[in-house]
Amino acid sequence: MPAAITDAPAVLRAEGVSKRFVIRKDKSLKERMVNFGRSNKHKDDFWALDNVDLEVAAGSSVGLLGANGSGKSTLLKVIGGIIQPTTGYVERRGRIAALLELGAGFHPDLTGRDNVYLNGAILGLSKRQIAASFDAIVDFAEIGEFIDTQVKFYSSGMYVRLAFAIAVHVDPDILLVDEVLAVGDEKFQAKCLAKVADFQREGRTIVFVSHSAEQVNRVCDSAIVLSHGKVIYRGDTKDAIAALRKSF
Amino acid sequence: MSTSAQERADRLRSLSFERTDARQRGFFRGFGHAVVEVFGQRELLNLLVRRELKAKYKDSTLGFIWTLVRPLTMLLIYFVFIGQILGAAHNVPNFAIFVYTGLTLWGLYSEVLISGTSSVIANAGLIRKVYLPREIFPLAATGSALINFAIQFGILLLAVLVTGQFRVSWDLFYVPAGALLALVWAVAFAVLFSSLNVYLRDIQYLVEVGMQILFWCSPIVYSWAQVVQTAKDHGVLWLAEVYLLNPISLAVLGFQRGMWAAGSETTQLGVNTIPPQPWPAHMALDMLIAIAVGLIFLAIAQRVFARLQGNFAQEI
Repeated sequence: MPAAITDAPAVLRAEGVSKRFVIRKDKSLKERMVNFGRSNKHKDDFWALDNVDLEVAAGSSVGLLGANGSGKSTLLKVIGGIIQPTTGYVERRGRIAALLELGAGFHPDLTGRDNVYLNGAILGLSKRQIAASFDAIVDFAEIGEFIDTQVKFYSSGMYVRLAFAIAVHVDPDILLVDEVLAVGDEKFQAKCLAKVADFQREGRTIVFVSHSAEQVNRVCDSAIVLSHGKVIYRGDTKDAIAALRKSF
Repeated sequence: MSTSAQERADRLRSLSFERTDARQRGFFRGFGHAVVEVFGQRELLNLLVRRELKAKYKDSTLGFIWTLVRPLTMLLIYFVFIGQILGAAHNVPNFAIFVYTGLTLWGLYSEVLISGTSSVIANAGLIRKVYLPREIFPLAATGSALINFAIQFGILLLAVLVTGQFRVSWDLFYVPAGALLALVWAVAFAVLFSSLNVYLRDIQYLVEVGMQILFWCSPIVYSWAQVVQTAKDHGVLWLAEVYLLNPISLAVLGFQRGMWAAGSETTQLGVNTIPPQPWPAHMALDMLIAIAVGLIFLAIAQRVFARLQGNFAQEI
């Protein structure tokens, strides 16, 4: 459970965030020429987020729950700055790390060592910081001597373990997590959850997207339930899970 | 690494909020912000360039030597077939140096443009999952093109020295000016096209075709004197001026003026007496203006990029 902080400041604020996706059915020049003038027929609007407000205090762990297509991953991406909202804005402070996919940016032809440096830099670490925690990363990932092997020869378990190990050594103030805690074998999962508990003790803020109500219940102190892009519940995790069940 | 929770909260309280949306900024502030942001990521940029270079020829026996094979093959083709068989070399002194000078600069221009244009799509995995200043991808493509260029330029310099064609003169300043001119325009186009390419994938193919046309629209295989002569013969001398409006033509001319000393001298080629190249009258000024215009174009391209990048993650 998160550390007790007196008078915790907000680190994340979303105001009236909406996101419209335009689904275009014609992508190539030929199709656009052929469909020119009728182009509105070839567009579909879809509101993935509809006027979402949000405030997250430092040191809290918030779960985002919702059915498939409810907009929770989109919200996480908007918070991470990966996509821009159509209206509204997101404000944040502190170092943010988005773990939307483990090993995004891994290059299969490079060795584990090269990829640690590359991926660390992608997540915002300087070369010196990576060098300082390099041994800890290799240790945590349990990669051992394979660190100088190209990652295309890694087993899928080794691949995600290395990626996760880099991610947790980034030292973020805000951590955005999308369904990535379910990696590796049971022993490694336990290690991951222990690391998350460490993060909470250190007062880091976690925004956690998951399908698993059980996982959210274990990790988060509050939750937000989305349905069709709207917030339908926010507050206590237990009630959130009940609200989620009702929304299906 | 482990700050106590209360300390962290107090530190965060003292920070001011930052908005993720950069579209609201004005033209100059937006461009300045992007430059600062990319500069802050120079270590990552460096790693991305190294990644491109390392991964490109990984597992091949000759490795990096392949970088040289392509331009040298091109040199051979143009020298033997265009130069000797089609006879272009009869009117251009020191044809090998001449062609290789043009090819070297053209190689930089086309590699930045072509690999830059597809760079955003090529890094789709990263763009969908991580926030980075996305300008970094065309710039990383530029970085690896610059390293290839440096190697080719080294060979050119060596060839010029070995053949005794090196002249110390003010004309040497045209070399960095030509390279800078080509680079500024290439980066500007790469930034612009890489963002448009996300929405309209045809751009990358159009660029490839366009570059082939542009290659023959630049004085690489034939000399500037031949362009002027042909325009004069047809009574359309103003077309030569139009020809120079193409920034890469001007850049290639500058590069040749610095590296290809035979072009500035009267030479005897068999029965032909070749006068020096009729270099444009205000070439230095023209090049400075072209660089300045290129920088403005780069700023505009970056603003277009910034506009379009908001939806990269979902369109890609």
